[in-house]
Formats: sequence, structure tokens, C-alpha cells
Amino acid sequence: MEHCELLIIGSGAAGMSAAAAAWKAGVRDLVLVDGASAPGGILRQCSHRGFGRAVFGSEITGPEYASFLLSGLQNTGVRLLTETEVLSVTGNRRALLSSRTGLRELGFQRLILAAGCRERSIGSLPVTGTRPSGVFTAGQAQELLNLRHRLPGREILILGSGDLGMIMAAGLQEAGAHVIAVAEQEDHYGGLARNYHRFLEPSGIPLLLRTTVTELYGSGRLTGVLLRQLDTGAQTHIPCDTLVTVVGLIPDRTLVSGLGSPDWLSFAGNCHHVHELVDSAVAEAASVGRLAASALAASKHDPDIFPEVRGLYR
Amino acid sequence: MERFDVAVIGGGLLGCFAARNLCRWDASVLLLEAREDVCTGISRANSAIIYPGYDHKPGTLKASMTVRGNEAFGRLCEELDVPFSRCGSLMLSYGPKADAVLRLKYDRGLQSAVPGLSLVSGREAEAMEPCLTPGVSSALYAPSAGTVNPWELCIAACENALQNGAQLSLNTSVLSIRPEQDGYRLITTQGDFFARAIVNCAGMQADQVQRLIFPCDVSIHPTSGDYLILDRDAGLHPSHIIQVEPEDGGKGLNAVPTVEGSLLLGPSERENGIDWSVSEAGLSFVRRFAGQVFPGFSEEHIIRSFAALRPNPQRPDGSSIGTFVIEHPAPGFRSLIGVKTPGLTCADQLGIYLAGETAADLRLSPNPDFFPGRSGIPRMKRLGFDARCKAVRQNPDFGELLCRCEGITRGEVLEAIHRGAVTLDGLKHRLGAGMGPCQGARCRQKLIPILAEALGISEEAVTQSGGDSLVYGGADGTL
Repeated sequence: MEHCELLIIGSGAAGMSAAAAAWKAGVRDLVLVDGASAPGGILRQCSHRGFGRAVFGSEITGPEYASFLLSGLQNTGVRLLTETEVLSVTGNRRALLSSRTGLRELGFQRLILAAGCRERSIGSLPVTGTRPSGVFTAGQAQELLNLRHRLPGREILILGSGDLGMIMAAGLQEAGAHVIAVAEQEDHYGGLARNYHRFLEPSGIPLLLRTTVTELYGSGRLTGVLLRQLDTGAQTHIPCDTLVTVVGLIPDRTLVSGLGSPDWLSFAGNCHHVHELVDSAVAEAASVGRLAASALAASKHDPDIFPEVRGLYR
Repeated sequence: MERFDVAVIGGGLLGCFAARNLCRWDASVLLLEAREDVCTGISRANSAIIYPGYDHKPGTLKASMTVRGNEAFGRLCEELDVPFSRCGSLMLSYGPKADAVLRLKYDRGLQSAVPGLSLVSGREAEAMEPCLTPGVSSALYAPSAGTVNPWELCIAACENALQNGAQLSLNTSVLSIRPEQDGYRLITTQGDFFARAIVNCAGMQADQVQRLIFPCDVSIHPTSGDYLILDRDAGLHPSHIIQVEPEDGGKGLNAVPTVEGSLLLGPSERENGIDWSVSEAGLSFVRRFAGQVFPGFSEEHIIRSFAALRPNPQRPDGSSIGTFVIEHPAPGFRSLIGVKTPGLTCADQLGIYLAGETAADLRLSPNPDFFPGRSGIPRMKRLGFDARCKAVRQNPDFGELLCRCEGITRGEVLEAIHRGAVTLDGLKHRLGAGMGPCQGARCRQKLIPILAEALGISEEAVTQSGGDSLVYGGADGTL
């Protein structure tokens, strides 16, 4: 079985940042693993400008940000494994890796999970009606538009005005779709003010506050939704062929669920908690990387010190 | 015109099992399905329970067939290589009226020879299932109850029938049926077929199909029910099927720990014709009920809600019929009309019965070459390390993970397409792709290009479930 000192799962913004920081802090045996074909995570599909103000002082695109973070790993000995999924992690500090070249076990001393978030789906909402096609999460719609240059549909309603909802509203409109409205159940848009002013406001797309989708229509493809105004209870049927949902992100810790909180495990980036800005995810991940490095260094000096110290306080 | 000994109309659970069991006889069998895939009608949504058989009046066909079907289910699933969990069931009572109902069911169960049945105290039930709301007054424990994935089972039965020589015609609606010398002519959307005998398993349309050629006194009266699914991280993992007998005599609730590890809750019940819509009242009912039974129930863990249809058989005067209706209006023509719960438990038994009767009509001899076994799609997640390594060495596609939730690789997806999946639902039904916590948010867009390439169609032509359920839209003006 192969071994490494530090395994980082996920090569998005947080994973790359943690890897660079850990390397800089002296970790020399480090593996960064990702299922995708290239590092960058969700940044790869964020082709709009608006990232990196805190770190770079200027605004760059997601792919540019990813290239920058990747350049921080160049001339290091960080081993980057792409197109490699981690199937499982066990309590005896082993990860099972799968790729087209084979299956292998990788032992590690410490693990940083930087697997990001998954998007909540429409199924989790109390939405009635049929279960037609034409319903996308915002991340799916973004990947479709920016990486595959396809539209999810023509007549689009967006549910949720988080940052991604406002960005996708403008992006889909610009790509030629008709974005009917963005519905938001709260009394204020959900994302950052600057995203509202940059994307949603100039697009002219109506923002329907205190409004949600309660029912779907269509036996095959979506043909419409029912909107409910939460204060008045007024219901409006909106014909549309596509619904894009922005209804929440859930840190994806499935790989370590059931392991408790062992002292060799830490979380970085959106897998730790959902960050509003990539910059803050990167900064947090860097400190997680440094902490992992010092924990590894400490255990190198005297691998038995921790049980001994614990014993002092028993 | 192609000629067959028997035509089975309808590729749901009943039709697929009828076709499978007809292959036990020396017969040429044609299975007709109106949609693009099997298991796309009412068989696609139900409680997934293999019932023990105490719910029905002792001595009836339903009671004896359920007990027999349940007993044979382990072997059936071994033959068909389908996961089956004989987890047992606990039917709970929270008061004296429901206690009495459980005693009645217990007595019925004893008379029907349901194995291992016992009445346990509320305290015992709570010890068996610590996730329950305290205050259970008694419970009926049936260790023989179990659960299966109905999609996998139905598709397995179909594959087994095809292995044994049956022929499947998809996208084939029967438009009319005419009597001919020694049999019937079926006029369909894919041309005419001749069959010496017909087995009508057309589900919600079974009464109408019989009326294409014979009168049918029994009518199907559809009702529907809503279900919720909780993901496997919900922290709510009863180890048995939990059923609640409500004290007010109203509709109860099932909670089924599925073979996939999720928890299925439902159904509600309502009258609404053929309508696959989920209702607000139904969802509220299931949520409220689940909250009462499980203190740990959290709406945060709901990943999907869906509706199921029940084909309730009725007499001309509108009264409902409690038994399985097997119509036999003429020699060589049989209809299963309005088979609902426990149709999943009895699907193979009903198939055996129909095949036997039809074989007698046609004086068929047993088929000595019938092979009851079928191998499922090799599932990487069920293999040990060494076997999995070997599989990837032989075929790198088995090393490429596409769905994290359900651990599905490209190799498994390609095999499912090879076996007949033509839609995203076809992949879901064969592999579970899209059933997990992310509900396809991460894997769907990886599956579409694979489906398109394998089927030789554009990505824009890929559908969720056939017809106009296009997944993408816009790029080529299809919407």
C-alpha cells in the first residue's frame, strides 16, 4: 500500500490553497486528489469576473483564479492526481482511490477534506405537482452554459436570489434565453449587493420578493410553475420550460460521515462552511494547510507526545 | 405478420413476470410495452414492501398467494440477482382500538400460516426500534416481511424472459384486437401480430384493453398516494419496516428502510383519476405522520417526493373489489385487472398462475431448457477490493466513477444502456443514478453525453422518461 503524510481531497480553490500552504510550511509528502479532469473545482465554470478582490486587488474570472492557485503548486512536489475519485475513507487512515488506471489504497497521516458543497435539489422542497424534466440546479445550468455552451431551455424562471441565482439570471439572458423572473422567498435578494448591482439590476429581470414556487406542471418537460406570494397568498401560473433552483448548499462530507471527529481530519473551504467569497475560502484553507503541517511536524518530533500529554490531564 | 403462441400486453411487474413464467412452457412469447422501456407505468412507484400476508382474509387467493410469494421471494431474488432485504416489519398501535386491529391481523396471519408472527408489547417494540416515539401500546412483528427495489426486480424478470427466448416490442400500443382462426390479431402502432393466446397486464389500461375485444364488467378506478424519501444520512434508520395502525381507523403510514439505504415514507391516499401529481394535502399528511412516529424526523433530510397510482377495481355498481381480479372472457384470453397491493409480493406467483392456465388452454408442454437465473449488472460498490481491482484491470470503464452518491461507474452505465436503458430514468431504474442525496445534480450532465453517444442521438434528444421530457432545450430549437 502507498502512503503519504498529507492527503487533500478536492483540488478546488480550498484544496489547492491548503496544499500550497502545507508545502510552504514543510510538508514534503503530499497528495492532492480530484475526480475532475483538471484542478479548479467549481471555479472552472465561473467564467464571470468578480473574484479575487481581497487577494489580488483586482477582479478576475474563476478559471484565471484557478490558474493562479495552480501556479502556486508548480515547482513543488505536491502530487496532483486528477480523474481520480476517492471511494471511501476508513478510520485506520486509508483512502480507497479509483481511476481508469486502477484501484488503489493510499495510507495517510493527516487528511484535509476540501470536497466543497453539493447543491440542494428541488426534491427537498415542499413543491407539489408533477416531476417533469427541465429543472436544473444553478450549478448544473452554469456548467451547461459556460463549459458546454448549451442552454438549459428558452423560457426560464429562477428560484432563489443567492449570488449564483443573480449571476445565472444575467448569464442566461445574455446567452439568448428569456429569463422571466427571479423568485426569492425572503424580503431582500439573497446574494451580495455588488452581485445584485452588477448582474441582476442591469439585466432588468424582475426580482419577485416574498415569492416561491409551490407547484410544477408538465407530464414530460416542464410547462409551467405556480408562484405564491407569501404575504398575500396570491398565486400566479407562469408558463415556462425551465426552472433553475438556487435553494441552498450543503457541505459535502459524505466521505467521512460515520468517522466521528478524529484528530487527523480537518475541513477546508466550503466543505468546512459555506463562504461568500473565494478569497475567504482560500485564506481559511491556507491556515488549515499550515495547521496540518505543524501537526505533522509535531508528531514527527515525538509521535507519542500527544497520548502522553493527554495522560497528564486524565 | 409475426406469429406467437402468447402475447403479453404490458411491461410492468405483472407483464414481465407473466412473460418470464410463460417461458417455463414450450411457447413463443411476445411482450408488448407502450412506452420506451419496461417498468414505466404504475409499477414504477409503490411501497416496495414484500408483505407477510396477514392483511387479507384467510383462505382467499390474495392471502395464500401473498404468503407463498413472500416465502419464495428470497429464492426468486437469488435467481434474478436482485438485492432483497428480509428486514421484518413492526406494525404499531398507540391505543386500544388499534390494539384490537392488530389482534385481528395476528389471528388472520396465524390462520394463513404467516411464519414467525408475534404480538409484542409496546416496550418490546420500542426496544427493537429505539427511533420510535414512546407510547407504543402493542405491535405486530412479522419477521418474514421484506423490501426490494421494484424497478430492479421488474427489469430482471424482463431480462430473464428475454434470455429464455421471449421477444420484447417497445413503443408498441395495442390499438385493437380481432378474433382470428385459433387466436387473435393484435393491431398495434408497430404493425400486426398474431397470438394464439393473450395475457393482458396493461395496468391502469387493463379494463380498456379487454374492452377492445370483450366486455369487461370490472372498471379501474385510479387513486393516488404521495411519498417522501429521506436520504441515508438522515440519522433515522429503523431496522424494520415500520407500519402504523392509527387509533382513529384512518389511513396508516409505512416507513420502509430501502435496500438503497434511504427511508421511504408514505403513502397518503386521494381520489383524483390518473394523475401523477404530488398533492399538498398528501405531502402534509406524510410529513405530519412521520413527525408523530419518529421524533428524529427532520424535513431537512427529504430528498424527493413523488406520487404513486393505485388501480382500484370496481364493479358496475361502483362497489370496490377486494380480491385479485383475473378475467377469463374467452379461451386463451386472460386479464389481470386492478392488481394493487400486494401485487409486488405476488407478481411472480400471479405470473406462474397465468402461465399455467394459458399453457393448459394451448396444451403446451413444459420447456426443459427454461433457465430461471439472470445476472445483474456487475455493481462495483458491491464487490470486494480484489474483485473490483480485477474488474477495472479488465475494463477501465469500471474505474471511472460518475455518480458519487450511489457509486456508479461508466462501465455500469454502458452496461445498463446495453441492456435497454434509453432515458435517464432507464439508468435510474437499473443503477440508482439520481436516487441519492444530490438527486442527480452532479451525475446527470455526465450521463447525458454517454447516453447520447451510445444511442447515436444528439444530447438535445436525450429525455428523462421518453416522450417530450427532453432534458436540455434550446440549442437546436427543440423547445
